[in-house]
Amino acid sequence: MTKRRLSLYCASLLWLGLAWAGWAAETPSGGGGHAAAGLPQSAVGLGREGGFITNSMVVTWMVAAGLIVLARAATRQLKAVPDGLQNFWEWLVESLYEFLEGIIGAELAKKTFWFFATVFIFILFTNWFGLIPGVGTIGWGTPDSEGHLHHISRPLLRGGNADMNMTLAMALIFFACWVVWALQANGPGGFFLHIFGPKGETAGMLKVLMVVVFFAVGLLEVVSILFRPVSLSFRLYGNIFAGENMLESMARLVPALGWLIPIPFYFLEVLVGLVQALVFMLLTAVFTLLICTHEEGHEKAHA
Amino acid sequence: MQHVLFANMISDTALDFGVDWPHLIAQIVSFSIVAFLLHRFAYKPILLVLAERRQRIQESLDKAAQIQAELARTEAARQEALNQANAQANKLIEEARAAAARVLEQETQKAVAAANEIIAKASEASEAELARMKLELRREVGRLVVETTAKVTGKILTVDDHQRLIEETNRELAA
Repeated sequence: MTKRRLSLYCASLLWLGLAWAGWAAETPSGGGGHAAAGLPQSAVGLGREGGFITNSMVVTWMVAAGLIVLARAATRQLKAVPDGLQNFWEWLVESLYEFLEGIIGAELAKKTFWFFATVFIFILFTNWFGLIPGVGTIGWGTPDSEGHLHHISRPLLRGGNADMNMTLAMALIFFACWVVWALQANGPGGFFLHIFGPKGETAGMLKVLMVVVFFAVGLLEVVSILFRPVSLSFRLYGNIFAGENMLESMARLVPALGWLIPIPFYFLEVLVGLVQALVFMLLTAVFTLLICTHEEGHEKAHA
Repeated sequence: MQHVLFANMISDTALDFGVDWPHLIAQIVSFSIVAFLLHRFAYKPILLVLAERRQRIQESLDKAAQIQAELARTEAARQEALNQANAQANKLIEEARAAAARVLEQETQKAVAAANEIIAKASEASEAELARMKLELRREVGRLVVETTAKVTGKILTVDDHQRLIEETNRELAA
């Protein structure tokens, strides 16, 4: 009963995330036809000539440093009766562990928790950090002929997940881990059979037909698997980048009310930040579960 | 040709979104460091503490259950001992009552015997006293009869007279 409820919960969250992604994709961004007025599509370097360190990398490092410092502070002297920061981290880790355990099972959760927990926590806090006033709005720009600065073209800080390098990095790390976990769970032969092997009990000519069909399905599956890093990274990047653009557009919609209009959208972005972190974690968890789950027919093959 | 087009498309897309190998590798390293340090400083110790706490709670619950069972056993034993003590006490009380009844009976018997003895002794003493008084009365009456006779007759009575008068008086008194 609990597994079914969790599956429904996951499906709802996925639907919510995908729906939001679709809505965000259809909604014209703040830049709209004025690409120059919106946020730059990619992170920019912080030096005079650009430089290697980008504004999104700075945010990434700030969030990473903050998380590590907080984690270290919380676990430096662990108490039997937790309080304060330790209580918060225990709540976070335990809730995430139980949540993941309910989805992917105890054995897989034990092995893969470090990745999914980091993905969720890091994406969540990076997304929320990007909502702090000043991120994306303090930086350098080109003033107009009267000397007024209307647009920041090189913000000092930029949401970490509004940089494709970050989202793609996480997706690629997941892909590498996924391959390792899949090989550990199935072995090379089992991994191949899992993708290309025929499902169900058939015999005779039907079996031959099924082998051909499932081989073709396996090819499609391989394409789908190879595109997962792309879809994962673009989904997260698109949502966060669109959100930042929307906030900037709302702030510029009525200049006199620039402090008021974005407020409801800030709340929306807080929700989006959470949903996207959940979607990324759940999708990666479900992909891992799918490849590591042994089916009836394959059990025999693996044996 | 198609491969070149595909590669160009990927390259253009990457360029549009600012994806390049150095930054990508830098972010991969950053995320890997975060994952490693969080695993080292957060997940591992916290999951260990949670497991220990879970085990401790389980042990405490087991101990509580053991104590409960022990308590129930002790309570049953206490009740049993209490019942036995009650039964023993009731038995003792019954025995004591029976003994008391026996003692009462014996003492009553003794008291009755003593009373009877006292009554008998008193009766004997009374009879002896009565006899002594009767004897004394006879003597006194005899002496008075002798004195009266001597005064009335004016005759000096002899010892034989005395004896005869006394015997006659005693006969008459006895009749």
